[in-house]
Parts: sequence; C-alpha cells; structure tokens
Amino acid sequence: MSVTLVKLAFAGIRSRVLASFLTILLSGAATATIVLALEVGATARDPWQRTFDAAHGAHVLATSPSEAEARRLAALPGVAESAPPTVSALAIPGDDLLQLVALPPSTRIDVPVRIEGAGVGKRGIVLERSFAEKLGLRVGATFRFAGHALPVIGTAISPSQPRYPRSKPGVGWVTLGTFERIVPDRSRWNWTQAVRLANPAAARSVAASVPGAVTWEDQRAEALRDSEPIRLILTMYTIVLLAVVFAVVAILVGARASQQYREIGLLKAVGLTPRQVTAVFALESAALGVVAVAAGFVAGALLAPRLAAPSAETMVGAPTTVANPWHLLLASIPVLLVLVLSARASTRRSTRFSVLHAIQAGNPSPAGRSRLARMISRAPVPLPLSLGLKDVLARRHRARRLVGAIAVTGAAVVFALSMQASLDARPAGEASDVPNELPVLVYTLDAVLLVITATTLIAVVLLSVRERVRDYGVLKAIGLTPRQLTSSLVSAYSALAALAAVASIPIGIALYVVVYSASGGDAADRVIAPWYWLALVPLATLLIVAVATSVPARLATRISSADALRYE
Amino acid sequence: MTCVLEARSLTKTYDTGGVEVDALRGVDLAVQRGEFVAIMGPSGCGKSTLLNLLAGLDRPTAGEVLLDGERIDELSETELARLRRSKVGFVFQFFNLVPTLSAVENVELPLLLVGRRRREARRSANALMGDLGIGDKHGTAPLLLSGGQQQRVALARALVNEPAIVLGDEPTGNLDSAATREVLGLLRAARDRGQTVLVVTHDSRVAAAADRIVTLRDGRVAEAAALEPPRPVTLPFES
Repeated sequence: MSVTLVKLAFAGIRSRVLASFLTILLSGAATATIVLALEVGATARDPWQRTFDAAHGAHVLATSPSEAEARRLAALPGVAESAPPTVSALAIPGDDLLQLVALPPSTRIDVPVRIEGAGVGKRGIVLERSFAEKLGLRVGATFRFAGHALPVIGTAISPSQPRYPRSKPGVGWVTLGTFERIVPDRSRWNWTQAVRLANPAAARSVAASVPGAVTWEDQRAEALRDSEPIRLILTMYTIVLLAVVFAVVAILVGARASQQYREIGLLKAVGLTPRQVTAVFALESAALGVVAVAAGFVAGALLAPRLAAPSAETMVGAPTTVANPWHLLLASIPVLLVLVLSARASTRRSTRFSVLHAIQAGNPSPAGRSRLARMISRAPVPLPLSLGLKDVLARRHRARRLVGAIAVTGAAVVFALSMQASLDARPAGEASDVPNELPVLVYTLDAVLLVITATTLIAVVLLSVRERVRDYGVLKAIGLTPRQLTSSLVSAYSALAALAAVASIPIGIALYVVVYSASGGDAADRVIAPWYWLALVPLATLLIVAVATSVPARLATRISSADALRYE
Repeated sequence: MTCVLEARSLTKTYDTGGVEVDALRGVDLAVQRGEFVAIMGPSGCGKSTLLNLLAGLDRPTAGEVLLDGERIDELSETELARLRRSKVGFVFQFFNLVPTLSAVENVELPLLLVGRRRREARRSANALMGDLGIGDKHGTAPLLLSGGQQQRVALARALVNEPAIVLGDEPTGNLDSAATREVLGLLRAARDRGQTVLVVTHDSRVAAAADRIVTLRDGRVAEAAALEPPRPVTLPFES
C-alpha cells in the first residue's frame, strides 16, 4: 500500500505542474534565507582567523598609561611569547579621528598585516584599511591633520582593530620618531603589551589579572560585530519570509486539495482511508519540500560569502564557501514542517466531506457566508465590487492568508523605507557605521518578498478563476459584461490588498523599532519614514494588485459562456 | 404572431484536437412571441449547442441568429451581455445558482444589472420568491436548498426581469416528478403571461407541456410538430 501511496503522490506532482513549481520556488526562497542568516556569521569567522594567524595575533592585549603596568602582563604565568610594548596616543587631543601607533621594528606580535604599499617607515604613515577607505585616502595621497601632513605609504589591517567608523578612532601606524614629533607630550602616551599564551583557551583567566586587558576572543567578537546587523536583518527577513511562505504554501496546498476534491472522493471511493488520502498529500508536499530545501541550501550557501564579504573588510581574504551541513538541517526542519502540516490540515478538511458529495460537487462548497459578506450586501458599493468581495470572502482562510502575506510584505517595505530615512537623516559628511551592503541587502530581500507576494496574488486569482469558471459563465449568461467581470475581480482583490497595506504601516514601524533597538541603534538617531513615503505603500500596493490581477481577470472574460457552463 | 427568435442556416463546428465535429448543420428555426417550444432529440444531436447560439452564449460557425429582428451573432460580448440581461432569462439543468450569493441575491442580480435600485430590486425579488413558494428561503445559501427549491430560485432569477424569452437547458433534468410538475407549471405560467419559452429536453412530460416540439437529429431539424393547446396548469403551491 505504501508504494501505491508514493505513486499517487508523484502522480499528483506531475499533474499539477504550476502549483508544484510555485511550491518549490517559494519554499526554496525561505530555505535560502534561513541558510543565509546562519551562514553569514559563520563565514566571517574564518577570514578573521586567517588575519589573526598572519598578524601573529595577541592572545591577550593590555593597554595602560603606565609602561610598567602594561609590562606586568608579560610577566604573568602562562605567557609563552611577548614583545616590547607599543606606544599609542590620540593624534589630536580630544579628537577621536586618529590614534597614532608607534610601531618599533622589533614588534613580533599583533603586527599589522600589509595590504597595499609599504610597511611602516620614515617616509610616512600606514593607515588601517577601512579608515583609509572612509577618508578616501589611497597610497601616495597626503594625510593632513592638525597642521601635520604625512604621505600615506601603505594600508594594513589588524585582527585587534574593528572596522572604522564603528570603531573610533581610526588607526595609523608610524615610526617612533614620527610619533614623538607629532605627540611630544608623554603624558598623553599609552602603552600596549601584547602576549601569546601557551594555552590560548586560558586567555580569559590571564586577562582577568590585568585591568583593561582584552583577549583574542574579545577581539574576534568585536571584529564580527560588523556582521551582526546583517545577521539580525536576515533573521527578521527569515521570519517574515517564513510567515509569507507559510501563508502562500497553505493557499497553494488548500487550492490543490480543492482542485483534487473530486479525486479525494474517488480515492476514498476505491478504498483509501482518510488517513491514507492525507498521507498522499503530505507525501506530495514533503517530496516538493525536499527538492526546495536542497535548492535553497545551495543558493543560500553560495550567496552567504558575498554578503559576509563587507563585514570581513578588516580581515585577510574573502570568506570561504564551505557551507555547514548542519545549517541544511536547521533550515529544512521549519520549511518541511510548514509544508507537511499545511498539506495535512487542508486535506483533512477536504476528507471530512462524504464521498458522494465530493464526486458530485467537484469542488468543496464555499464556507457559510460571513458577517462581513452580509455587511457588504447592505453596503452601498458598486455591484461588481460587491460580487467580487463576496466571492473572495467565500474562501475565508485563503483571503486571510493572502491579506497576511500582503501585510507582512508591506511591513517589510515600511521597514526598508524607515531604514533609508534614518540613513538620510544623518548630518552631511558624517560617516555611517552601517555596512554599505546592508541597504542593498534589505532592498534585495524586499524585492524577493514583493515578487513572491505578487506571484502568489496572480496564482490565487488564477486559481479563483479556475475554480469559478462555471459561476463566471452563469454571471455572463445573466448579463454581466466582460468589463464588469474584470472589475469584480480586480476591485475585490484591490480592496483586500488596500486593507492589508494600511495595516502593514504600523506593523512595519513596530518591526523597525524592535530591530533597530535590538541591533544596538541609538534611539535618538532613529527616524521613521515620513508620512508621504508611507502613503506610497498602499498606493503602490493598489497599483501592483491592479496589474497582477488584471491578466487573470481578463482570462476569465475570455472563457466562452457555453464552455464555462459545461465546465466541471 | 411575430417572430421573436430566429435561426437561419445555423452551423456550428467544433475543433476537437484537430478533428472537426459538426454539431449543427444548417438549422432554420423561427419562434413566435408567446410560444412554448420544446427542442428534443438524442444526446449529441446539437440541442444545447442550438440553445447556446440562440442565447448568444456561443458564436456560430456560419448562419445568423436574430432576436427581435436584430442580428445578435455579430454583437460584441458586452452588447450580448446587455441584450441578455434585458431580454433573456436562463434556467439550467444543474440550476447554476451563484454559490457565494444567497437565494434572494441570486434572484435580484438581473434587476441590479439593469440598474434598478437596491431596495426596489430586493422588494421585487422577495415578492417573486413569495409567488413561487420560496419566500421563506430568501437568505438561504443555494447549496442548503433542495433541488426543487434551487430550480425555483433559478426560475425566479430567470423571470424577475420579465424577459421576452425564457430559455431552459434540461430545466427538469435533475428533478423528481413533483418538482418537475412545479417547474413545468411555472414555465407554462410564463408562457401564459406572453413570454416566449424555449426548452431543450429529453423529458416527454416537458414536451407535452409545449406548444410545439422541434426534433433535432445529427445537427439538423428532423421534424417540427405543433401540439394541441395544453390544458391550463394550476401551480401545485397555489391554493
């Protein structure tokens, strides 16, 4: 029997090519986003390690205004290697633009890794790479500050230095002679002792005995904080995408069960129990889900290094592309659960009808008329809109899920608009600590959501037209003109979408406030998108819905009444 | 009597996957105002095709269809819809009530389409449903009605605009004997009010209630026979 059920499930997939394709596409997109969220953090860790190795990084670093205090670190037990301390100071007192570091030739630990140009020498300054990029200074340019002018002779990176401007001041390495010339006042000097330990795992206990000491784990966490906003946003979009995908998959599965209503009746008639019928549909969804998660995992794993690259700017090389197989498992569980459970729920509903009813009717009866539908009957709305709304509300679950998908997508757009407004509100010339790729990522994910929701909308209208071909034939026979038929579909879905779009505005603002706070943003800098931007959300939604529904609606008008009345 | 509906050399050919099937082969038919005509014939002889063409639901391959002297086979879909809503009422074998509308909303729909005010349309629909013995079913969903009740709602929808022509495609094909008698009574009553009734049927009881029987065979009119005027019909729900 189990072989028969599997055969029936695969026959179902083959017979509903469009619905199967949409299920794979949408579930794959959800999987890819989950994998992206998991991989971005992981992929950035690897280049940090390579930078640490190249710099012969310090397991513990201690900075103090007193050279003797700093040197105390080197004398602690467990220290395997130490070098003379380096001297640093703010180049301009009270200004967090530049931290000058005097780098003696004997430095062996936490050595800046050269990226471009030369190493530290008499002729000029070596700037930390992200700092040089923000200032727009390339090798050969002159760096002017507080009456000094130093040629930029090179750029370098350090595992202990996070990306500028999130970490201020920026760092520049010079010789001790240059340092003394720029910062002659020794009371402004700080001493940094770097050590390597025989057992790096003991770094935290060693650091505990020296005030202000930081471990290699602290350095790594600080460096990886650049990827945190991206991870947070990816997590938010993962949840949003999962919500949309759940709604969409539930609509698709429900529609498939609806299309297969007669088939369900026939399967029951030939002897399958309701549980076996449900198993056929669940198997069908699970099979599609396996293909979707595999495709989504590959897409997510390939995209992750590209997204992680900006957060790895202060590190050596690009992130690796080796994806963690555990992430496949973590991503596939929610997606497969959503698919199988929604298939089970929809099919169980359909199997409750009697066999005879299913075979005779072909389609399940629309649910009883809601209070909303009765209110519409009394409301002074145009006849096509009234007819269309009653049609849409006849399948309440579908309407609710569609409204949910549109509202969540609208909320994601409101989120992006508010993020852009916050970026735009920064004073001119002030550097942003938001990775440049973050807005691009958000807009890309918004575009993915928009495409998914618009595709869903088209699919829902197509399904609705297919399910109601005979009714449209009747309405045309009674005297509904093609234009009235089109407008009944377009106006009803537009009204539903407008409702969802208006609801999406407060949801999107709340989402933005929560994510902004969670990512450590300063509440004083938080800006919500202006009302005229937000007003565009329902307007754009109406436009998109009108375009997305007009094509299937026009198809409905082209069906010959005589054919429609014969349709089962 | 004047001719209200006319078919001239009506031909309809279907293309079924590269194979052409002639459903109608030059049918000529004239239906007079106030006449009750039954179209009979074996399955596949073209009865429903003829009805669809006469109602403007489908387009002929060749020939002409005239309604009140106007050619309708050349009208656009919009013009045809406007013509149907004012002049044609439809009754189908499977009732074809719109499931998302209540019984009374189905009945008032043609009135709203011709621009009647909502309240006025509701009043007329309720009154007609009362006349047809289903006044207590106005808010009920179609699928919760019995076959006979559904067909009476369908008849109310077809008659509410007082169309010149009432067309029926096997209107009793899915009903029991009692419901069949009720529907026949209602169709006869419409004919007695001066409306033209044209039904496609396999049912000899329906044919017996008609003024004239047109028999189709292989897409052609095989014979046409006028019947004796039937005796007056009393509606079963009238006291």
